[in-house]
Amino acid sequence: MTPAAAEATTPSTARSALRAIRRAGPMLLSGGTVLALVVLASLFVPLLVEIDPLGIDVAQKLLPPSAEHWLGTDEFGREVLDRLIIGAHISLRVAFAATLLTAVLGIALGALSGQYRLADSIIGRFSDALLVFPGFVLAIMILAALGPSELNVVLAVVVLYVPRVIRTVRASIIEFRSADFVQAARAVGVGDMRLLVVHILPKSFGPVMVQLTFGFAWAILVEAGLSFLGLGPPPPSPSWGNMISAAREFIRTAPWIMIAPGVMITITVLSLNLIGDGLRDLVDPRLQGKVGP
Amino acid sequence: MLLYTLRRILEFVPTIFIALTLIFVITRLVPGSPITALIGNQSVDAAQIDAITKQLGLDRPILEQYLEWLPRVVTGDFGQSLFFSAPVAEVILDRFPITFALTFMALLVTVAVGIPLGILSAMRRGGILDYFGNVLSSLGMALPPFWLGFMLMLVFAVSLQWVPASGYRPMEFGFWSWLSRLVLPVLALSVSQIGLVVRMTRSTMIEVLGMEYVAMARTKGLRERTVILRHALRNAMVQIVTVIGLVFALGLGGSVIIENVFALPGLGELITTAAIRRDYPTLEGGIFYLTLVALVINLMVDLAYAWFNPRIRYA
Repeated sequence: MTPAAAEATTPSTARSALRAIRRAGPMLLSGGTVLALVVLASLFVPLLVEIDPLGIDVAQKLLPPSAEHWLGTDEFGREVLDRLIIGAHISLRVAFAATLLTAVLGIALGALSGQYRLADSIIGRFSDALLVFPGFVLAIMILAALGPSELNVVLAVVVLYVPRVIRTVRASIIEFRSADFVQAARAVGVGDMRLLVVHILPKSFGPVMVQLTFGFAWAILVEAGLSFLGLGPPPPSPSWGNMISAAREFIRTAPWIMIAPGVMITITVLSLNLIGDGLRDLVDPRLQGKVGP
Repeated sequence: MLLYTLRRILEFVPTIFIALTLIFVITRLVPGSPITALIGNQSVDAAQIDAITKQLGLDRPILEQYLEWLPRVVTGDFGQSLFFSAPVAEVILDRFPITFALTFMALLVTVAVGIPLGILSAMRRGGILDYFGNVLSSLGMALPPFWLGFMLMLVFAVSLQWVPASGYRPMEFGFWSWLSRLVLPVLALSVSQIGLVVRMTRSTMIEVLGMEYVAMARTKGLRERTVILRHALRNAMVQIVTVIGLVFALGLGGSVIIENVFALPGLGELITTAAIRRDYPTLEGGIFYLTLVALVINLMVDLAYAWFNPRIRYA
């Protein structure tokens, strides 16, 4: 913290910061706990218990949940619970890879357009154009062209979300470019690149983290939607969206096959959104209650 | 106002141009040609493949294809669908009314529920209604809409049998026959939108309620009702109205997947089938049309916003 900023921390802002922490705490804690449970279960259960998401056993098909089959079995006699756990790998892996790539590209391109006018007008035009397509029709188009696969879902999510991150990074660069502490650093002889990386970019860290958390949640929903449409990772890989898609035939006779993956998606997305809400309140209490991404 | 309108419409042109170019580029990223997808497993000799390639113009340089394609699509001619033996424009116009009915009704439900709930949440912060609104909006935004669709189907069509599970009947078969098949899709589409609108309305309203003129109105001794309805709400409305444009665009995007769930033969269902069959002319046309409608609605909302709020026009 710069001396000027420290001085500006009057009792009232300290109090509002405290209020933000009190408000954000429960959200971060509950969201974080649930998310950690989902992630840990998907990582460690396969190590502890024998899991066979692809094991076909026709004699055991379409069994309702019971003590033996906790969440029932699907049309091939595969355990719904096993598939749910492995499905978490695919859904979280895709969403995580997409978020990571979005972060890298978004920060790099955002920094470029915050720094150079020419880059700004080119990147700005393209990100505006990407944002005009409603919903994820753009993703549908990309997957129709490239073919359904895990990697292509990642690419589609990145293309859809990166413009938002670019905007955030660009905005904070422009905001802080002429700030006193940047002027001071420049006066001392700090170079452009160092100024950007060491002094300006860290200022956008908070807002970008908030946005990426919402982006992560959103990526899970998009992956599920695309998989449901048959444009995601191809079966038999049990992504949550694939499971819902495969279960639609049996919605009357064996609804449990469909209910389970949807509940998992909802829980995971909800916990990520809670974390996002909490982070946002911490980063900028003024935005309290505002919609995330 | 005229100047502002003209400027906005002028800005509209390059956006459409870039959107079209993106559509063209992406659909031609294809590894392998659409012809492979088109002929599927039929045995076709090389001469026939050549003929189809020529017919689709896929043998010419990409730039030439683009220069031929662009002026054609600007006039709304996306060519012949590869699967329906009809022009793409015809197929689209055939299906759009269904998508429009779905999104428009979802918008009505969203506004009717979301805005009052958001306002009441803001008025009684920390109250039961605020809590309820918060839970509903958080949950609404986390539920995958297509899965919610199936759950509604499970409850209201399979168990309770109040409405048919899926399909579509034109209005000629009777109003209820038409409406009953749209109730569940509209609900499935509204829930996530309601979440968004409740949050936005609530935060806008809270902001407005903190303004000095609201405090002033209270100090004057006006009744709380009057303060809220005449002073706060009227000013908040300007912001809230812009949400409607956003929600409509969201609904158009969301309809793509909801139509698939409920087997509604709308534009969204057309786009997804075209994507899976790799029917590129239909895919291009469908996506462009959907995007165009979203853009036009946003333009209209922007213009309405400027009309009510003169400061915007000169910004």
